[in-house]
Amino acid sequence: MEQNYQVSENLQSQAQHYQQLSRTVSRDKFAEQISRADSKAVLVAWKDGKSVIGALSFMPDDMPYLPKTKDFPILTTGPDKLHILTGGIVNTKYGNILIANRTDHFSAMLDKFVSASATAIMVTIIVALAMGYVFSKTILSRLTHYNRLSEEIEQGRYDTRFPLSWRNDEFDVLANQFNKVLDTLENNLMAIRGITDNIAHDLRTPLSHLRIGIEQLINQPADNIHEHCANLLEELDHCLSTFDAMLSLTRIEEGQLELERQPVSLHTICHDLQDMAEALAEMNQQKLNIELGNDYTLNADKHLLFQALFNLVDNAIKYSGENATIEIHQDGCHLKIIDNGPGIPDEFKDKVFDRLVRLDPSRHHQGTGLGLSMVKAILTRHNANISLSDNHPGLIVSIDF
Amino acid sequence: MKVLLVEDDATTLDYIVKGFTEQGHNIETANDGHQGLLLATSNQYDLIILDRMLPSLGGLKLLAAVRATGNQTPVMLLSALSHVDERVKGLRAGGDDYMTKPFAFSELLVRCEKLMQRGHTQPMQTHLKAGPLEMELLTRNVTLDGQEIMLQPKEFQLLKYLMEHVNQVISRTLLFEAVWDYHFDPRTNVIDVHIAKLRRKFEELGHGELIETVRGAGYRLRQRN
Repeated sequence: MEQNYQVSENLQSQAQHYQQLSRTVSRDKFAEQISRADSKAVLVAWKDGKSVIGALSFMPDDMPYLPKTKDFPILTTGPDKLHILTGGIVNTKYGNILIANRTDHFSAMLDKFVSASATAIMVTIIVALAMGYVFSKTILSRLTHYNRLSEEIEQGRYDTRFPLSWRNDEFDVLANQFNKVLDTLENNLMAIRGITDNIAHDLRTPLSHLRIGIEQLINQPADNIHEHCANLLEELDHCLSTFDAMLSLTRIEEGQLELERQPVSLHTICHDLQDMAEALAEMNQQKLNIELGNDYTLNADKHLLFQALFNLVDNAIKYSGENATIEIHQDGCHLKIIDNGPGIPDEFKDKVFDRLVRLDPSRHHQGTGLGLSMVKAILTRHNANISLSDNHPGLIVSIDF
Repeated sequence: MKVLLVEDDATTLDYIVKGFTEQGHNIETANDGHQGLLLATSNQYDLIILDRMLPSLGGLKLLAAVRATGNQTPVMLLSALSHVDERVKGLRAGGDDYMTKPFAFSELLVRCEKLMQRGHTQPMQTHLKAGPLEMELLTRNVTLDGQEIMLQPKEFQLLKYLMEHVNQVISRTLLFEAVWDYHFDPRTNVIDVHIAKLRRKFEELGHGELIETVRGAGYRLRQRN
C-alpha cells in the first residue's frame, strides 16, 4: 500500500511537471527534455508522430489517464531483463505522454526483505534449535555420565570420582560436593577395612595359640592343667583387650564416641601420672621427675585423656632403657614428656602414630600396636596437638592443648 | 540376697546362675526384656543384672522403665559392646555399674556384692583384720604380726581393697579402679608393680605368701583358718 501510494505521488508530481513544461517550452525543447529525462526517477515516453521519444521505446496500449495507473511489462537489456512498470497517461499541450515508474524495484526489495527476514528467522530458529540440541545434549550427556559413574560406585568402585569441568557451573558444584562425600565415605570404609584386616592379622595369631593350647590340654597331666589354663586365659584376655582397643580406636577416631567432658586440671593429671608410673620407673631403675608450672584446666574426658598421657609415659618407661631419666614438664597448656633413651629415628617419627606400627621388631614388649594411634585419636578429639622431637639423645613428646 | 538376672544367652545365664547359687544367693531369671520388666516391677530384689541386648525390649529401655517407677534397685549392666562406649551410656541410663562380656565370674561377683551392700547400711568399719594383718582405717596404721609397716597411699588403698575382699580373687581392673579414679584398661603391669612393692614389704617380715597371684585372674589375699 505504502509502495502504491509513493508511486502514484511520484507519478502525479511528474505529470504536473510535464504539463507545465509543455505550456512553457516549444515542442522541440519539450522533446529534448523528455529524451533527457532521468530514467532513474521516472520513465517518460512521448509518441511524437510515429517515433517514440524518451526512455521507453514504445507506447503500450490501453493505458489509463492519471491518476489511474496500470502495470505493464517491458524488456530491457540489463541483467534483470523483465521489469514491471506502473504508469499512466498524462495529457499535455503537445499530446499524451506516458509516465511510468519501475515498481519491481520496490517489490524486489520487498521480496528481498521478506526473504532476508525469513532466512534470518530460519537461521535463528535453526541455530537456536541446534544450540538447544547441543546444550541439552551436553547436559544430558553429563547427567548420563554421572549416572554411569554412580552405578560404578554402587558396584563397589569407591575410588570413582565425578569429573570437574572448567566451567565451574552448578554441575561442578554438585560434583564437587559428591566427591567430598565420597572422600569421607571412602576414608571411613578404608578405616573399617583396615580394622577387619587388623583383626584378622593380629587376632589370628593369639587365637591360633589358644587353639594349640586347648588341643594340648587334653594330653596334659592333671596337676599341670591349672597352670596351663591360666596361660590360656592370659592369652585370651590379651586377645580380647586388643579387640576392644581396635573397636574403641575406631569409635574415637570417627567421632562416634561421646566424650564425657568435665573440667580437668593438668596438675591433677600430672600428679596422678607420677603416682601411677613412679613404681614402674623404679622397677627399671629409672628416675621419673615432674616439673609443674602454671596450672591449666581444660574441658576433657578425664578417663580418655589420662589413658593417652599415661600411655606416653608408659612408653617412655618401656623404651628408654635402664637408668634413664623420664621427665614430665607442664606449664600452662603445654605438656612435655622427655626421656634420654634411644629416641626414635626421624624417618619413623610420623609413622609411629599409624595403626599396628611397632618399632620394636622383636615385639619383645607385649602391646597391641594401637597405643600411639589411640593417643593421637584421643588428643585430636580434645583439639590437642602432639609432636615428636629429638632430645639428643632421647625423645621429646610435646602436647599443646 | 535376692537377685534378678535378665539375660537371653543360655550359656551366660547358666554360668551366672550357677555362680550366684554357689554363693548362697537366691537368683531368678528372665530370658527377654518384657518378662524381665514384669519381674523387676512386681517383685522386690536386692540387685538386677541386666544384659544390654535383649529380645523384645532392650536392656537400657527396660532400665529406664524400671527407674521411671521410682524403683532404685541397684542395676549391674552386662554388655557385649565395646568398653568405652558402654560405661557412659549405661551409667547415664541409670545403671550403677557395668561389665563387658566376656568377664570373669569372680569380678562380677565382687562388683555385684558391692552394689548389694550399698542399700544395707553397715556400721562404719574402722578396723580391718586378715590373718596377721591389721589395719586402722582412721589412723591409716597397718601392722603385720604386730609390727608396723610403712605404706605409701596407693599401697594402702590396694591392701585395704584386698583386705575387704579377703580370700576372693580380685582382678587387676578392680584393683586399678579401687586405687585410681580412672576407668580404662592400663594394659600394663602397673598393678603388678604396686603389688610387688607391697609384697616385698611383707617379705621383709617373713610373710611373702600373703598376697597370692592367681594366674589369668588377678590377686588374692589369703587368710588361713
